[in-house]
Amino acid sequence: MLRFIKGFCLFSAAALGAAAPPALAAGDLLVAPTRVILDGSRGTEVVLNNIGSESATYRISLEIKRMTAAGGLDEIDEANATPAERAALDMIAFSPRRVTLPPNQPQVIRVGVRLPEGLAPGEYRAHMLFRAVPDATPAVAADPARPAPTGVSIALTPIYGITIPIIVRVGDLGVTATIGDARVGVTKDGPAFEFDLARSGDRSVYGDIEVTRPGVAEPLLLARGIAVYPEVGERRVSLPVPPELAAQLKGPVHIRYSEDRDIGGGTIAEADRVVK
Amino acid sequence: MRTTGMKRALAGAAIAALAMNASAAHAATATATAKAKILAPLTIANSTDLDFATIVSGATASTVTVSTAGGVSCGSGLTCIGTTSAAGFNLGGTTGQAVTISVPSTVSLSSGANNMTAALTSSATSMTLAASGNSFSVGGTLSVGANQAAGNYSGTFNVTANYQ
Repeated sequence: MLRFIKGFCLFSAAALGAAAPPALAAGDLLVAPTRVILDGSRGTEVVLNNIGSESATYRISLEIKRMTAAGGLDEIDEANATPAERAALDMIAFSPRRVTLPPNQPQVIRVGVRLPEGLAPGEYRAHMLFRAVPDATPAVAADPARPAPTGVSIALTPIYGITIPIIVRVGDLGVTATIGDARVGVTKDGPAFEFDLARSGDRSVYGDIEVTRPGVAEPLLLARGIAVYPEVGERRVSLPVPPELAAQLKGPVHIRYSEDRDIGGGTIAEADRVVK
Repeated sequence: MRTTGMKRALAGAAIAALAMNASAAHAATATATAKAKILAPLTIANSTDLDFATIVSGATASTVTVSTAGGVSCGSGLTCIGTTSAAGFNLGGTTGQAVTISVPSTVSLSSGANNMTAALTSSATSMTLAASGNSFSVGGTLSVGANQAAGNYSGTFNVTANYQ
């Protein structure tokens, strides 16, 4: 029975992978789920699938990232880790750390937690990075059209991957969130719907954002998976929008921040704002 | 973690069918629960490489820029040959999911003992995933030294899609 369930789960992930846009390169990957929360000593599994057209070797590692006030995630060198971040790296166990997969072959990565004695209550977090190891052969191919002996030829190989947060919660933790002023701003990526999201408490908050016009059922804007991590008390949420939507968003709106639908979709915070 | 009623019902039906075959001789009723976990996936795929093509260096230091759209602007004193392209990536996942993209600001390239650096720019630093067409690209500005030694320069740079 268990085997059946596991098989079905993998099948689902593989089917989802097949639905992704056509892959062109070796090293393309799928990771599911997008977020792991461990409370207590029970572990979980993350599925990694090779959605590329060739066999590829993937490496799985843990990284420290800190949220910035702008809502980005900065990578932090291990040498600069705080004791809590160091503890997160030490308590999260996973296997395997390196795997070679033929195309469309999923692999389960088992993730567990070993809580050290006397660990202070709180939220501990690391980000799991999945990425393909580049081929040992040089990426530059001998191209007769390029006069390499007289010129400079460049081969820049991207090593690309996905990170997902692995969150360990110890003790009884709580959090509240508050939605601040909203506006339509201009970023270097184009217009964006922006507002401040403040958090207080001893853990992170995570949920979906829904922006509606009063009296209109159809939401103007939906964004899933917006988090505020404990290292910031407030972050800016900046959601890129097309220019026509940016114009539409101006005026009175209702902003609702709700829990993931999987855990009930309850409201975390909501506010009426006039967007300038 | 993610369950949907439909998949659960399908798996339930499959197991119920098996159970009926196995216990057809027994008239007793039995209940069985079946579970299927549906996970939200996310994907990243690389479509094109960042290609500065071939450059013939000049007597003074200069730069070659490949925009995120893939176009080239060849600095004064340099000769640029061939077709350039920006590195292209496609993301996939749940519609509406917020994703941030990290790309290093600089990358170094080497050919034997010779080095060059390139500054990188991404067409997007954050995205809200749509049902399709979630692509972004990475371009760069290559600093070519005066009389930069000829050769095949190579380097790697990390691109990650981060989920919160």
